Amino acid sequence: MNRRWHPIDVMTGLVALVAFCVIYAPLVVVAVFSVWQPIRVKGALSLSPPNFDSYVSLAANREILDAVYTTLGVGAAATVLGLILGTVLAFYYLYTTGLPRQIMQALIFLPFLLPPIITGLALLVAFREMDLTRGVPTILIGHVVVVVPIIYRTVLVRLNALSPSLREASLDLGASDWQTFRYILLPQLRTALIAAALLAFAVSFDETMVTLFLSGSTSTLPIRLWSMMRLGFVPDINALATLIVLLAAAIAFCVGLLNLRANSGLRG
Amino acid sequence: MADNAAHSAVEVRGGARWRGLLAGIVCVGLPGLFVFAPLATFLLYSFWRNEDGQLVREFTLQNYRAFFGDATFLRVYIRTILLCLGATVLNLVVGYAIALFIARRDARVRFGLVLVFVLPLFTSYIIKIYAIRGILGHRGVLNELLLGAGLIDQPLTVLIFSQTAIFIGLVVLYLPFAVLPIYLSIERIPPNLAAASADLGGSTLDELRHIVLPLSIPGMILAGVFTFVMTFGDFVTPQMLGGIDGFTFGRIVYTQFGVALNWPLGAALAIILLITAVGVVFFATLAGRWSTTR
Amino acid sequence: MNVHSEFLRLDAISKSFGTVEVLHDVSFTVARNEFLTILGPSGSGKTTILRLIAGFEAATSGAITLDGARIDTTPINRRPFNTVFQDYALFPHLSVRRNVAYGLMVRGMDKPAIDARVAEVLAVVGLDNYATRLPQELSGGQRQRVALARAIICEPRLILLDEPLAALDVTLRTQMCAFLKSIQRRLEIAFVFITHDQQEAIAMSDRIIVMNDGRIEQEGSPEDLYLRPKTRFVAGFFGENNLIEGRVSGIETATATVETAIGLVEVALGTSNLTVGAAVQIAIRPENINVLKDPQGGAAFVVRNVQFAGASIIIDAVDAQTGSVELRVRQAPGNALNRPAIGEEVAFSWAAQSTTLVAGEPSDGG
Repeated sequence: MNRRWHPIDVMTGLVALVAFCVIYAPLVVVAVFSVWQPIRVKGALSLSPPNFDSYVSLAANREILDAVYTTLGVGAAATVLGLILGTVLAFYYLYTTGLPRQIMQALIFLPFLLPPIITGLALLVAFREMDLTRGVPTILIGHVVVVVPIIYRTVLVRLNALSPSLREASLDLGASDWQTFRYILLPQLRTALIAAALLAFAVSFDETMVTLFLSGSTSTLPIRLWSMMRLGFVPDINALATLIVLLAAAIAFCVGLLNLRANSGLRG
Repeated sequence: MADNAAHSAVEVRGGARWRGLLAGIVCVGLPGLFVFAPLATFLLYSFWRNEDGQLVREFTLQNYRAFFGDATFLRVYIRTILLCLGATVLNLVVGYAIALFIARRDARVRFGLVLVFVLPLFTSYIIKIYAIRGILGHRGVLNELLLGAGLIDQPLTVLIFSQTAIFIGLVVLYLPFAVLPIYLSIERIPPNLAAASADLGGSTLDELRHIVLPLSIPGMILAGVFTFVMTFGDFVTPQMLGGIDGFTFGRIVYTQFGVALNWPLGAALAIILLITAVGVVFFATLAGRWSTTR
Repeated sequence: MNVHSEFLRLDAISKSFGTVEVLHDVSFTVARNEFLTILGPSGSGKTTILRLIAGFEAATSGAITLDGARIDTTPINRRPFNTVFQDYALFPHLSVRRNVAYGLMVRGMDKPAIDARVAEVLAVVGLDNYATRLPQELSGGQRQRVALARAIICEPRLILLDEPLAALDVTLRTQMCAFLKSIQRRLEIAFVFITHDQQEAIAMSDRIIVMNDGRIEQEGSPEDLYLRPKTRFVAGFFGENNLIEGRVSGIETATATVETAIGLVEVALGTSNLTVGAAVQIAIRPENINVLKDPQGGAAFVVRNVQFAGASIIIDAVDAQTGSVELRVRQAPGNALNRPAIGEEVAFSWAAQSTTLVAGEPSDGG
């Protein structure tokens, strides 16, 4: 591609710049307000002197903290369950043929392809028919349903890339199916499983639309924030939001670094 | 998925056949129980009705008739489709510009630029809506800036709790989803095609018109379908930013399960939402095939 | 071959994948300590035979017997055979030592015993100093030796080798042929070796089974197959062969006379049952034909092409009378004066013993 800047580049560059500002405006505003609180001075909007009060207050905010713990707990559980299920289902697909595995795969991908509102409502209705009260278990089920397709696909793609002769060689040398899985296949799946787990956790952490229908009295962070927001303005939220953004940025930074190292041929 | 004939050639025999049956029951049964059964039940609900707050499990078409017969429902439905189409088109145009800009930069900065535009996806969805509400509000950041700069005398009210607010919210939230597929399809174009075009005397504009644009159509279709389906099914943004005037079709579905407590009607409306989404995907796939086989 | 030393038997094995029949009625045995090669072009079914023996596939019909007992339903990991795969199938995340130890490790052998055996086997294949390397750090030839070591260490009754030399360059291939042969002799394990390369087969085998299109064409020692091919396919597979059609006109004790387009030809009578009037083809190798400048008495041939090919001169000629018999002759380059010119008429002669009769109609696919 060209090195000089063609008029096209100037135009698209401007658009990109404006878009960048618009996309990041909400995040920047939230971050700024977490340190410089907006106050009204003679009817006009002004900023207070910089302080970390909202962060301190956040640390003491039981409501939010409980929701964070719940979210982390559900996220971890959903990820672990999703890893086990996703891997088992991927192996089933790989080692069988015919209609059963196609049906299974179609059903696995359905929650991923359908709008989340449908998934949430369908599960809501199902839980009501089963007389299951909404709470952490129902949230967990919902998250697992959402997360399994991601893990399943990641694992299956990796398994398909493996040469079939690796498994054959292991069996040929006298190993059982379980030994083959444990000593040969699982090590090959390690990076795929880690990547899938990270993605699954991230998805579960932020999951809002399905969870809305499945929560009872206890809820995850997005749901708790949702109900708090309907009531009005809470300074602690700005602090929380800023922390989340910083965390996401830090992870993205690490991912970027890893990518750079991989591309320039340095071995870790 | 790739053919796994080689993997499955290791055949099952004897006692292992029972293990295979058990595996089949578990592996097909679990998705069946947690995906198929709920969806099937949900479909059934759309054919039942509510009487005095009680669910009556008798087959009826009244919910669907309510949708097609009631002008309000239809109006909101059409309006939502137009709203989401608008957001999709805007996102496609802007997304394409961004993707093109990134694709034409040096290889070293490209990954970083993509990361910059994709990063917002990993921040909290609900917090972004909250922040947008704060910015667009009567006494929000945007209004205060405009007032302070003397550009307006009164705060703009149209920006919050309106269809406009929903539109802005959807665009800001879903733009990164549009950038990525378009960028990937542009990036996949072999660089020697550009070289060939230049070699044959083509200008940059020619190259863009005749090579980049046609070859990036699959990415555009993917981005368009993503954006439309996601915006059409989003009921949280309209709920937070729409106020009294801001009812989209998704939000109406949501309220049937909340305040209005008419689950069968909600189910029927949700099924219609689903069919709309599936229809869009279907036609987009057709369009995709048509564009590549010409 | 001593019947009592046969330990593996394949009886009437057929294998189909859906509607495609890959093996048809294949029967043969494997004897202890023998180096058996299954030779054939791609698609001949030779790899399928290997996979059936190892247990990766099950036969559609027929039986596989080990020491008299059927093993058709025995799972792969219980069969006392080990395979050396075409892509070596080394476990990429394990070192050479761990790869080789794998078969013993999964059997639960204790570590000191494993370490001792691994050291032994690595010495046998000449990779003592490579124990801690990873597969990707090895060359193709080294990887192959690791695969072999991994198979040997389990002391199987039989080692199956699936075209193991295909990925190696020519010089390495010759070395590995000699190496494999010497290992096999030393370990006294039966080897079943699959290849499409007849030179490898001739160099290493005690016995060769030639496969074509899912069936066995011929079975025998390398010499048998080369000098006494029974079918047109086998004749053409090993080196070059000229084929002359004819009908048997007379049968004597050691020879027969065949009436051909170029007159009566005397051929060596093999073990086949011939009847007068039977349609046959005479096979004669290019290097066994002599060129006579003076066609006196013999059929006249017109030289079509003369070509230098390094170790020999290739002369292509067609018979002057009917134009239906084409012969290719290879002659030592030596004497340039004897080299015929294009268009010249010459005659050919050969000894009856260097001919062989081959079955199969001229219109065979082989």
